Amino acid sequence: MRKTKIFLVTAFLFLVANTVLGQNKNVTGTVTSKTDGTALPGVSVTIKGTTRGVETDFDGKYSIKTKVGDVLLFSYLGTKSQSFTVGSSSVINVALEEDASQLEEIVVTALGIKKTRKSLTYAAQDIKAEELNRVKQTNPLNSLSGKVSGVTISRSASGAGGSVKVVLRGNSSLGSNQPLYVINGVPLSNPTATQPTSTFGAFDGGNRDGGDALSLINPDDIESLTVLKGASASALYGSAGLNGVILITTKKGKSGSYRVSYSSNLTIDKAAYFMDFNDTALKNVNDFFQTGTTAINAVSVSGGSDTAQTYFSYSNTNSTGILPTNTMNQHTFNVRETMNMFDNKLKVNASVMASSQKVHNRPVSGLYFNPLVGVYNFESTTETLADYKTFEEYDAARNIMAQRWFRGTSDIEQNPYWMIHRNASDDTNQKLVSSLTLNYKLKDWISLQARGTYDVSKMGFEKKIFATTEATLAPLTGRYIVKDNSVTKLFGDLIATINTKVNDNISITGLVGVSSSNTKQESFIGDSGVSGGLTYANVFSFQNFNGGSSANFSQNSLEIQEYSVFSSATISFEDKLYVDLTARNDWSSTLPNGNNSFFYPSIGMTAILDKYIDFGKSVSFAKVRASYAEVGHPFGADLVSPYNNIAFGGGGVTPSVGAVPGTIPKPERQKSFEIGTEWKFNNNKYGFDIGYYNTNTVNQYFFVEVNATVFGVPNAYLNAGEIVNNGIEFSAFAKLYDTDDFTWVSRINYAKNNNKINKLIETNIDGIISLNSFAIDDPGATNTFGSYLTVGGSFGDIYGKVVKKVEGLPEVELNPDGTVLKIMQQDDDIVPNLDFIGNSNPDFTLGWNNSFNYKNFSFDFLIDGKFGGKVVSMTEAVVEGKSNNSARETANGKVDVITTAGVKTQVDATDYYGKLGGRTGFTGEYTYDATNIRLSEMAIGYNFNLSEDSFFKSIKASFVGSNLFFFYKVAPYDPNITLSTGNNLQGVDVLGLPSTRSYGLNINLSF
Amino acid sequence: MKKINKLIALLGFIIIASSCQNLEDYNKNDKNISDETLEIDFQHVGSKYQPIFENILRYDPAWVYQLQQNLNADVYAGYMTNPRPFVAGANNTTYALVSGWNNFIWSVPYENVMGNSKKISKLAAESYPTLNAVNLILRVEAMHRVSDVFGPIVYSNFGSIDNAGVYDSQQAVYTAFFTDLDTAVAALTADIDSQRFTAFDMAYGGDYHQWVKLANSLRLRLAIRISMADPSKAKAEGEKALAQPEGLLATPADDFLVHSSKPHPLSIIDNSWGDIRMNASMESILSGYGDGRMEAYFNPSDANGGAYKGVRGGLPLLPGYSDELAQKADYVGFSNMNDAVKTSNAQLMTAAEVHFLQAEAALRGWSGAGSAQAHYEMGITTSFAQHGVGGAAAYIADNTSVPANYVDPVNASNSINAMSTITIAWDNGATNEEKLERIITQKWIAMFPEGQEAWSEYRRTGYPKIFPVVSNQSGGIIDTNLQIRRIPFVDSELSTNTPGVANAVTLLGGADNGGTRLWWDTGNNF
Repeated sequence: MRKTKIFLVTAFLFLVANTVLGQNKNVTGTVTSKTDGTALPGVSVTIKGTTRGVETDFDGKYSIKTKVGDVLLFSYLGTKSQSFTVGSSSVINVALEEDASQLEEIVVTALGIKKTRKSLTYAAQDIKAEELNRVKQTNPLNSLSGKVSGVTISRSASGAGGSVKVVLRGNSSLGSNQPLYVINGVPLSNPTATQPTSTFGAFDGGNRDGGDALSLINPDDIESLTVLKGASASALYGSAGLNGVILITTKKGKSGSYRVSYSSNLTIDKAAYFMDFNDTALKNVNDFFQTGTTAINAVSVSGGSDTAQTYFSYSNTNSTGILPTNTMNQHTFNVRETMNMFDNKLKVNASVMASSQKVHNRPVSGLYFNPLVGVYNFESTTETLADYKTFEEYDAARNIMAQRWFRGTSDIEQNPYWMIHRNASDDTNQKLVSSLTLNYKLKDWISLQARGTYDVSKMGFEKKIFATTEATLAPLTGRYIVKDNSVTKLFGDLIATINTKVNDNISITGLVGVSSSNTKQESFIGDSGVSGGLTYANVFSFQNFNGGSSANFSQNSLEIQEYSVFSSATISFEDKLYVDLTARNDWSSTLPNGNNSFFYPSIGMTAILDKYIDFGKSVSFAKVRASYAEVGHPFGADLVSPYNNIAFGGGGVTPSVGAVPGTIPKPERQKSFEIGTEWKFNNNKYGFDIGYYNTNTVNQYFFVEVNATVFGVPNAYLNAGEIVNNGIEFSAFAKLYDTDDFTWVSRINYAKNNNKINKLIETNIDGIISLNSFAIDDPGATNTFGSYLTVGGSFGDIYGKVVKKVEGLPEVELNPDGTVLKIMQQDDDIVPNLDFIGNSNPDFTLGWNNSFNYKNFSFDFLIDGKFGGKVVSMTEAVVEGKSNNSARETANGKVDVITTAGVKTQVDATDYYGKLGGRTGFTGEYTYDATNIRLSEMAIGYNFNLSEDSFFKSIKASFVGSNLFFFYKVAPYDPNITLSTGNNLQGVDVLGLPSTRSYGLNINLSF
Repeated sequence: MKKINKLIALLGFIIIASSCQNLEDYNKNDKNISDETLEIDFQHVGSKYQPIFENILRYDPAWVYQLQQNLNADVYAGYMTNPRPFVAGANNTTYALVSGWNNFIWSVPYENVMGNSKKISKLAAESYPTLNAVNLILRVEAMHRVSDVFGPIVYSNFGSIDNAGVYDSQQAVYTAFFTDLDTAVAALTADIDSQRFTAFDMAYGGDYHQWVKLANSLRLRLAIRISMADPSKAKAEGEKALAQPEGLLATPADDFLVHSSKPHPLSIIDNSWGDIRMNASMESILSGYGDGRMEAYFNPSDANGGAYKGVRGGLPLLPGYSDELAQKADYVGFSNMNDAVKTSNAQLMTAAEVHFLQAEAALRGWSGAGSAQAHYEMGITTSFAQHGVGGAAAYIADNTSVPANYVDPVNASNSINAMSTITIAWDNGATNEEKLERIITQKWIAMFPEGQEAWSEYRRTGYPKIFPVVSNQSGGIIDTNLQIRRIPFVDSELSTNTPGVANAVTLLGGADNGGTRLWWDTGNNF
């Protein structure tokens, strides 16, 4: 704390002491790229014949003191230099032409710092809007799959508006393994409201995906997206950057006349990739699902003067899901204003992004509240599922419209039409991000930036459960559930950036800064529960709660405050060798007083080899890089809150669960090292980048079982563990054809990650046992899919109930009548009752992206492959256990078995699979190779030729398709879908919404 | 230019100003309560009683009670059983013990009773001895049940870091229970008219006279329990209970009921889930005796033409049923429990039970017990009165009715003849064994639906003669006719307290399984 204050006071005095002198003629202007009109930062502007010069800033602006007749020389790597003589005008705008022979890419890095790609000491891959949005997704992050190496994307099984799971370089944390998202330099608050955690399903409304902040961003507002994969790249973000960072740069206004862009996207979605049902069942299933449609319409206006530019956009998404009655409506607004004041010394950047999303009947997974249980298990020889579209009938005994179903309902099975109409839910998510950035150039070599962001997320959920819903889920009069979460984040930082040349050979770019981040999380739950319920049936309001004690009213409010001081320096030696240093210290309120300060350093180095060694003409670029970083990961505020919880309806108070008594909680800590090299050949026609990384993460915060007779509580938190990830990332591109009429660019992204758990819980505290296994998903006695961390194992190891095999045949105990009494189980490893069946993560991922352009036509396709890994279809197990709807459960089918007496024989397929399946079935037999290769995206576009005087500036139309088909897949569902975007339920499908195949039309206009 | 400097300086100020607040001030969930605020109204002590009251028999959520007691003791006692053969018929009730369920028998009291009890003792033992006294009585009531399930338990070393997880033998635990009751009775009688507990009392409205009666009755229950394991200690403690001037629970007004605002978990397990029904043993005995309490305890079965019909305990997934639900569909329509026995007032000890305890004490010749016959008949009358059932006099005089044979109308193979011919009316000429069977059989009926005590007494005495399980899947470990004797030590203990459990098995004096008898379970009644 004291250190922070000293620093802040010094910074403040420095500001006050500074004075600005005015002199001479000031020439200002903007340097842009002739190719695409974007601003070029870091362009050197010098007065010919002198050593005086400045560089353009992040927005391509410069200001230089000069006099009439001086010659200004504009030079920039990757472009042809230009010179202008200063005349009467005090504004000189320059458009630099690209020089293919020395192409230079600019990459946005941590805190919004733009760097030349060649100077990076770590792996970073970026992707432009056009590439990202070619085949538009409602959650833009879903479009990253296969396009960036080392990024594993799993889309949520919750349909439009769902969240996304992004893992960079493997899992290492028991908290979140999702990267940090940063919009225009400021960390985005991305609260994951709710994610499913159990195969059975959540009792308080079903296994639901509460959505995330990314799904609330208009894909059309994104200009580019940069993936900083490792800790070295993200060390400046300190504790939040452990899992890598995804930087999102949004569009801003460009000076010039106003330009309006409009894009319209309409896709139709069809349910695809079911398990293998028999014909009758499949007909019912197909009958139930409908064709979904998604329409995304977006309009944006951009323009302005040299001093003020505006970008405004509005988008509207309307989606109807493949699950009947499921709809999603979303509106987003974005205004961004950029201004240059006081001779371009002060830049102001103000923006407001607002979005609102409503989802009706967001699909759930698991067994509770899931209509698919009824859809998949309906069986009747006389009726069809459609006969139950009339889902209720008059019950004279109660004078009520009561649920009807072909058999008795159970906790997990009800009439699906009843569920979508009478157990309906509504999610309402809203987000507002407003930010203001002031950047002031004190001197040519120093500028100061102050930023503030106000970021609010609100996530609401409401479920109305009508009377005559199954009694486990709702009492006689029905049940009403309301959940509201809000997260408000206030972020501010102050950064001084320094650019200085020590001598002709050495230059230093550095920054020092402070930041403050305040996050307030508030939540509310109102649930009338399963006993008292509602006073009057089917009235869903709080005043109608029947005061029963299983009702739950609760509020929580937590505030987290973090302060940070950070600095970084990039030292360039002759533009050939770069050394990068960063340091950051965090103080966090979630850590115990006295132990709340943590330091994160990083160091990196890169050398441009082709400037040292002459490789000949064919090598156009070569570099090597290496870096090392240490970062940490905080844990949630609720884990260290000293308050006692009050149970609604009385029940005393319970102290909140904290660290094991006598221990001091620490943040998780990661040490990461990476090396890599990048090469380009034949005038940048071909190139590749390959990197190796190793991260070692320790002190995971385990929720360990402690002895109740010692501590009086069953669990407490303990820092322990060590998880290592290492791997290779490779990306390559080739311009296979490059003529005026025809171009073909092909890119490959490959990544392989190895994960190993070296240590779990090692302790010598009495009442806590050192553990070699730890459950991520513990199925208990109700299900048979588990996920466990074990020493020597890997994150994502999955466990199931495995059939004992003798001579390759399943061993069974038979009844005297020859039917199966019991299928024998094998259980011989560290996890009780379950055996290891595989790991849910792929061994490696490979994406192959191709772009063809012929005259006005373009054709793009992306093949996305995930190789290795295992998945379990609990869907199949449940269906075989609950009904005979699986194709292999045919009346005259036989299964070879061996009896416990050692006799080889055959049993009826319906009998065998009926006993194999079920919710506590032999998941080992429902385990599949997750390897899949799919045509993930395809787009055929046409760019209309427009005359100079046309009203339109451009018109482009394209046919697009996503997830079109699999070249290879054995699993009975799409393994790219995940039930949870958290750590739970990876590699299992429990009646998740089937994946869809989508086709559509895109139109982009600008005028 | 100056303006800009000022603007930036101001921003700097804002950041500095916001940093001045101490980090400790954040991160407090003010929707919940701090230790400081909790001291208002003495809730730092008082708020710890409710979790104790509501976890001796766990109220909420109902499925926890289902695993804590309903799917073990309530079924083993012959009171109730599950119409659905959970886990395809391989579960506790068929002696395929489900460790994931049985963890709750242990975790509920340790996490909710013992921790709070220790905190109350720490806060109140010196300054408010009567508050601690009530706490000790509740703790004995909660923990003797746990010891009666497992045998050795962690009691004197609870919360100790030096002797972490060290078990006491069952004999040592019972001795500690008697000592705790001594402390409690001494403290209460010293300040008997204090109203200090009124605000927190969920049973007796703060009346310490009643709490002393409960302590005495509990002492008698525990003394009777160890009457064969340690006869001299039993007699001494029993006689101490009988002699204490405040007396014992005597009329239904004295019954120890927890008055919670929460519904009885049985009402949810039974009414909402249809997961528990009348046991065949209950049907056999109540219908054989023409017992008027049948109507108070159960509802007639529509599926059986309005007759009272129970389900055999320990049903496997029977041949002919495709799955658990199909079998449940056939049995869920059998008699369920009358709402009167699953009100919010959970019954933990009744005056009727205490009369039967006195009857047995008389049978054993303990001084101060009075007449065995008088207490036996008083027990019946008190139980009838408790349930508002008439006809007690005729019932007491009935010397012909015997338990009835049981017929399963759905699966005839489950039908079974009654196991006993014991009649109701007291017979002074009968043997002590017969007298004891009569007493325990009537006590068993009277204690319904509190299965934990009924199962313990069944194990100690072998009465009443309830039906054995239909399917015994213990692999020969548990004898079908002797029935299950205990529950093995739980997984959470095995995983976090391995040396403690190893020592506990030595103290148990037998294998850690369901076939091993506890210390007080001697197999002899006299």
